[in-house]
Amino acid sequence: MSIRIGIDVGGTYTDAVLISSGQVRQTGKVLTKPDQLLHTVLEALDSLNITSRISPNHEVENITVSTTLVTNAILQKRLPEVELILLPGSGMKLTSLPWPVPYHVLSGELDYRGRQIAALDKHELQHLTETIINKRQGIKQKNEKPLAVISGKFSHRNYILEQQLAAYLQKEIPELSMALGSEWGQSNFYRRSLTAYLNLATQDLFADFRDNLIEAVHARGLHAPVKILKADGGMLPAENIRPVESIYSGPAASLLGTLAQSNPEHAYIVVDIGGTTTDIGLVLAGKPLLSSRGAHIGDFLTNIHSLAVRSIAVGGDSVVLPAEGEQAAAEGRENNNLSLASYRLGPAYCLGGSRPTTTDALRYLGLVDFGSHTRAEEAMSLLLPEGRRETPYLRDIAQKILNLMVEHIASAIEALVKQWRNEPAYKVWQVLNPRADHKFPIKLSGGGAHGIAAALAQRMNTTATLTDHAMVANAVGAAMARPTFSWTLNLDTSLRRYRIEETGEQGEWRGSLKPHREVEQFLNTLASKQAKDMGLDEYRLEIEPFDYFPLVEGYRTVGQIIRGRVHLPPGAFQLQDYGPSA
Amino acid sequence: MKKTGIVFFPAFDWSLGETHPEREERLLYTQEQIFEEGVMDLPQIKQYSPAVANIQDVLRTQAVFPSPKHHELDAHLIAVGCSLVLGKALMAQEISNGFVLVRPPGHHSATVVWGNRGFCTLNNEAILANYLRTYYGVKKIAIIDTDVHHGDGTQDIFYYDPNVLCISIHQDGRTLYPGTGFCEEKGGPNSWGNIVNIPLSPGTGDEGFIYALEKWALPAVEEFKPDIIINSAGQDNHFTDPLASMNVTAKGYGKITEMIRPDLAVLEGGYSIQGALPYVNLAILLALAGEDYSGVREPQKINRRVLGGEKVRSYIDDLYKYFQQIKPNWRYAQGQNKHLPAGKWVSVEKEIFYDTEMFREQRHDLIRECQHCGGTVFIRTRNQATMEKAMLVKIPFEACPACEQAGYDLVEHYKKSAQTLLLQNQLRNQVLFWENGKEVNLFASEN
Repeated sequence: MSIRIGIDVGGTYTDAVLISSGQVRQTGKVLTKPDQLLHTVLEALDSLNITSRISPNHEVENITVSTTLVTNAILQKRLPEVELILLPGSGMKLTSLPWPVPYHVLSGELDYRGRQIAALDKHELQHLTETIINKRQGIKQKNEKPLAVISGKFSHRNYILEQQLAAYLQKEIPELSMALGSEWGQSNFYRRSLTAYLNLATQDLFADFRDNLIEAVHARGLHAPVKILKADGGMLPAENIRPVESIYSGPAASLLGTLAQSNPEHAYIVVDIGGTTTDIGLVLAGKPLLSSRGAHIGDFLTNIHSLAVRSIAVGGDSVVLPAEGEQAAAEGRENNNLSLASYRLGPAYCLGGSRPTTTDALRYLGLVDFGSHTRAEEAMSLLLPEGRRETPYLRDIAQKILNLMVEHIASAIEALVKQWRNEPAYKVWQVLNPRADHKFPIKLSGGGAHGIAAALAQRMNTTATLTDHAMVANAVGAAMARPTFSWTLNLDTSLRRYRIEETGEQGEWRGSLKPHREVEQFLNTLASKQAKDMGLDEYRLEIEPFDYFPLVEGYRTVGQIIRGRVHLPPGAFQLQDYGPSA
Repeated sequence: MKKTGIVFFPAFDWSLGETHPEREERLLYTQEQIFEEGVMDLPQIKQYSPAVANIQDVLRTQAVFPSPKHHELDAHLIAVGCSLVLGKALMAQEISNGFVLVRPPGHHSATVVWGNRGFCTLNNEAILANYLRTYYGVKKIAIIDTDVHHGDGTQDIFYYDPNVLCISIHQDGRTLYPGTGFCEEKGGPNSWGNIVNIPLSPGTGDEGFIYALEKWALPAVEEFKPDIIINSAGQDNHFTDPLASMNVTAKGYGKITEMIRPDLAVLEGGYSIQGALPYVNLAILLALAGEDYSGVREPQKINRRVLGGEKVRSYIDDLYKYFQQIKPNWRYAQGQNKHLPAGKWVSVEKEIFYDTEMFREQRHDLIRECQHCGGTVFIRTRNQATMEKAMLVKIPFEACPACEQAGYDLVEHYKKSAQTLLLQNQLRNQVLFWENGKEVNLFASEN
């Protein structure tokens, strides 16, 4: 009997679940201590009482953690200094895009096929070395090892300049710890540079957390691999994941939580209502929609694949603000311009908080049954002028708050569906087969979700149903996440060079100039080997149609550029009663 | 913030033949370049997704004979559709300018379409212009064609139209396809002067091109006072182009774009797909977005003689003087067609060559001379390869009652004939089609 454990670190609470034979057997909830995430995770793990529930023939197969460790470090700007060395070549000015961190610029240039246009400049290299060394001499804490990212335009097509520069710097500054932009083998130059930057900057922080977590898990007699949830909804062993890939795993977890409890053939919208944010995602034929662009975190645009989740600052604990301040109330005017604050000031009034919230409106209207009705009524009166606090007015204002919340969520749903329908397309067949208008049913999770189900369904003219285990949906998502995998080939047979986008691997192509089946075989072999190394041999990789571009020079075909991809899309194992379990 | 819209549609699964210049690879490196630069991450850039145009929007502007279903139009309808996407975004004020970076191109495609000409089947800019006039009441449009080849199709479509200014700056037609675009081609009886052709000598570079714009093209635009400027942004004036002999650089194209300040630029030709396109497209896009394009630099250097300095300036000055003194010389239809409605009708005969499939079209245009409007146009056309014949009646935007009636009279008379007949009633946004004397609904399957 296999057991899966999922832990999701949220902004307010950290949830944990234990699932065995596809059924949720145990859940736990602890307060998140943002400064002590490791402690929080272990506390949540311990709340499941595992030792007492596991007999020798019940093996824990998986422990998956969705953590805000890296996200918070980036958002709170707690990153060590990294020297960012750029090789931008010609083209658009660097200053056209906002760089959130300082950088050095060196010469050396490649073109769009990775052909070298200009070499590195020796004098510039010497000068750079001196700059870095001088800077270090000014720093007192010499025990921190210096970090540097080298990133060149078109290095995803050829990493030669980055490697030459890295080799040079390693010799001059042996203690320098370096990362290359080409390790993130996708366009564009700006995002690749910043992704490599964030990954190197969070490496030590993450390694520390990971090592302690693994040790602590082992100390509890558990020998299952510890896995970390990624922004794309997949999970990887904690030893293999690149730290920055763990950002935004929370919204991914909430989507997967619903996925694990839904028919794997269906298309629907997922709405997860939290304390201060609501996450909205789209699932098509059982697969969550991925964002076509990389994740945006703080001031950084990245190459990190993430689910196309829209997060809006509306939740059960959102404070209701009487717009125009208390003035309108004092003048005894009807208050038509309520708004929702983007923050939380403790729990809802009906649960002992100090300010009226959306939950109070739901409680007053009888749409949720937790909290004190009397206090909810009081909360509503606080929003009204004296003399206008009779039942019809109270009902009216509660209804307005509900409508406001529903309207926020509905517009975000519409924006997400629009984004999906308007994805760029680059081929004739894609444009001729457009994404049809579709009424997606809605699946709701999160505390208080049932309070708005009916109103949201009416507004969207569709059905809205509640997910089971709505209170711990994120932890269920973490526990039941399937691994993801993607392996994208870019092959230039004329230059005899291949590149793999996801890992930044580059190498020599020894096959023919105009390969056909041969290249699919080549990609499959490479990908299968990588998948096996990652322990994914049991999964069947999906192959996307390859693109072949005949490369013509002077009316003669001299080779081909080929793009191809095999992958495992994000998904979730099914809880029992929700379809075949994998 | 002022937004620059872009539709990027490289048609990666469409070509006119494996080694044809118009092939899958054409915008591959452009994609690599503009994506890698991070242009799509510029806050003022707004990317739009492509769309398919419908046949009605095409037939309002172009007569596709013998009927649209005889042509392979999918890729062309998407290129048109993309142009309309940005046209709508412009009118909705979502963007302040835009670049329709798509293939296939369209500026050689003319009033009548019997097939593909110069890689073009449908005219993206012309259909866009008339779409904006039909649905947004735009009155005056200037189309500036900076492709190295004469924009003969666009010129043909608007030749008799007083509300569209067509300027084409190109390599002299005596040295390059399509062999037209001379100063003498200045418009019809009701639109004389609205066609401006600036044929430049082979070898002209940034300096000469910019001089021609400054001294000739832009003053003409200023005088015309268009509501909207469209740039047919061909990129084959670049010094690496394999089909032409001009010497414009990528940075030069940035400057040209900055000077023209188009509301919408639409990609036309340009077949130096490695040496020029990635850089020229980047420069145009940056110029439209108000970004510094001075760092855009193609790796190759010009290694042929550039025609510049006093030589190119005096050549352009002389040509301009000659252009200004050219007077029209109309031939009027006399007696040979007793069914022509009342009025004076100018008669123009021409032959159009379709280079892709190598056949000729014989055309006879009759234009009603009018003091009040663009004048109704009656065109009889014959495909010399198949000997198929067809007719087109065009009632112009803002037609006067007499011209409108003349159009209806022509239709009334000819709709019973065995020949195919198309009515483009631009005044009433109506497109009607007759085959073998019967009206056919070409739009039944749409919507």
